[in-house]
Amino acid sequence: MKNFYDFKVDNIEGLSAQEKEFRNKELDLFNKNGFPNKREEAWKFTDLNTILSKNFANITNDYISLKEKKFELIKEFDHNYLIVLDGILVSNEFKFEDKNKVLIKEYDYKKQISVSNQNSLNLLNNALATGGYNLEISRDYKFKKPLVVYNYFSESIKEKIISYKNSLILNENSELTILNYTDTKTKNNFFVNSFDYLKLKKDSNLKNIFINKDRCNCYFHNYLKSDLEQNTNLDTYILSTGLKFNKMDIEINLNEERAKSSIFSALSLGSEEHQEIKSSINHNFKNCQSYQKIKNVLNDQSRGVYQGKIFVKQEAQKTDAYQLSKALLLNDNSEFDAKPELEIYADDVKCSHGSTSGSIDLNLIHYLKSRGIPEKEAYQMLINGFLSEILEKLPEDNLKKFLVEKIGRQINGY
Amino acid sequence: MLNIKNLEAKVDNKHILNGLNLDIKPGEVHAIMGPNGSGKSTLANILSGKNGYEIKGEIKYDGQNLSELSTEERAQKGIFLAFQYPLEIPGVNTNVFLRTSLNSVRKARGEKELDTLNFLKLVKEKSSELGINEKFLSRQLNVGFSGGEKKKNEILQMKILQPKLAILDETDSGLDIDALRIVADGVNSYKNKDNAFLIITHYQRLLDYIKPNFIHVLSKGKIVKTGNAELGVELEKTGYANFI
Repeated sequence: MKNFYDFKVDNIEGLSAQEKEFRNKELDLFNKNGFPNKREEAWKFTDLNTILSKNFANITNDYISLKEKKFELIKEFDHNYLIVLDGILVSNEFKFEDKNKVLIKEYDYKKQISVSNQNSLNLLNNALATGGYNLEISRDYKFKKPLVVYNYFSESIKEKIISYKNSLILNENSELTILNYTDTKTKNNFFVNSFDYLKLKKDSNLKNIFINKDRCNCYFHNYLKSDLEQNTNLDTYILSTGLKFNKMDIEINLNEERAKSSIFSALSLGSEEHQEIKSSINHNFKNCQSYQKIKNVLNDQSRGVYQGKIFVKQEAQKTDAYQLSKALLLNDNSEFDAKPELEIYADDVKCSHGSTSGSIDLNLIHYLKSRGIPEKEAYQMLINGFLSEILEKLPEDNLKKFLVEKIGRQINGY
Repeated sequence: MLNIKNLEAKVDNKHILNGLNLDIKPGEVHAIMGPNGSGKSTLANILSGKNGYEIKGEIKYDGQNLSELSTEERAQKGIFLAFQYPLEIPGVNTNVFLRTSLNSVRKARGEKELDTLNFLKLVKEKSSELGINEKFLSRQLNVGFSGGEKKKNEILQMKILQPKLAILDETDSGLDIDALRIVADGVNSYKNKDNAFLIITHYQRLLDYIKPNFIHVLSKGKIVKTGNAELGVELEKTGYANFI
């Protein structure tokens, strides 16, 4: 069978011989197995190889020329921003901040880490990644306004893979809220395979939010690796409705005492959208906390998957770990799969997990309708109500308002 | 206002109503009493438009065939059912629900929707009449409310929506004496010559506060006796044995 992809390290310009060698080695490893399928535990419910082969004729990584584009910025709330086009950092603006406290540059592939995890998509990222950014926040600096990372994709990319790495370092006692905002109107199919590295140093605090502007025909795989030091807090909000395929592969390492991480997700999926959250929360030290709450509303033939792993090392006593997923299925053809994975080696821990799925209670619809509320609105109210528990947790008033309005539009089907 | 002729209803091939007749005119208060399983709640549910019943016979509301109207249209045209068991809706704020409901009804009637300020004014006035703490209204709808609070909340919805025909399905059950009086006062203050009430109850005690023009005894899906307010007092003494 002819492959539906053809990747070449030679398509990337400006590599040293050493880099080429490394990348080719990684690419060979990838080519041996190809895209992941259900044989891999992390892909238990999804055969990505089949999904991509059905939707792509020939994915390549040849050079994409950047075209001038007018970027539309969010007006609803004050923010700093990075503009990233097809994975490449094109501009940045930190007008609300002390610029001396923010270091932003392009990702340095010669110096910065590659992904060690042997997930085949990470191998592929190591082989092909270009672009990306490197952001560092100075010690004791707390951002005054959120940072929006605009992830634009040009309309001309079609049948391409876009690979990049980003890195973010929060130094001691710094604080930041990031909105990762994907914006593309293209009807073309493309695949994004990105790697984000987050380092939270002692006492720092990061809120990391993911949302899309519109529906698009793109396939995303995002590997997010975080290392948390003492007394840090990382909150991840996944609101990324609208993508044809999305998998958030989240690795969080709680490496020192009182590190705390939460994952909140509110997704309202329709048509043939497929979204997955695969988390690995590694409690590597005592007295750390992790919390995960995933809520999916599934309509049409959409599919949601949640594989949540909690790993507790032997020395990680007094761990407090929680995970819960809930799905609301609106259509018989929709599907939700959940698989909690708990691996616990310490004996003094609090770990809980749960998962429920069900359909809308028609008695509730009748109750709302009996108060004059039209059926469509009654459904929307219940869906909103189902997701509200997550939406209430969103940070910062203006940002929250913007996000809740966006999610309202998603619920109404854009 | 409401004319029911020969109403029959089945659920899963089980006959619940067997030729029920009832006429309600504006300004009237009708009470339906009857033993458990006689079909009282089924009648209320059918009037509200609940699915799942196989129905024969005729129900006219203001001259219109009720079966042609969806549940929400019935509500918009002034039919209100105070539920026997008001439902809890997590994540839906009571105030937001009340406002959406009122504005849906106003919109359907061709009236202007109420803005937040005027809405809050209205809710404040109506809820204080019923002794409902405003804090309840910012909570999730009926979630964690006591039985009495839920019932009061139903009457609050009635007073806000201003229906023409209000059906109270065992609104008195689960209420303590004070709450019963408050609910009855709520009904009495809303009652006028243009609207009508259908009160479903097991007990005379609610009817001590809300004087009905007619009391009907429902048994085995039929009205077997109709009388005035005295019938209730009599039933309290003798029970339903004579009608079963």
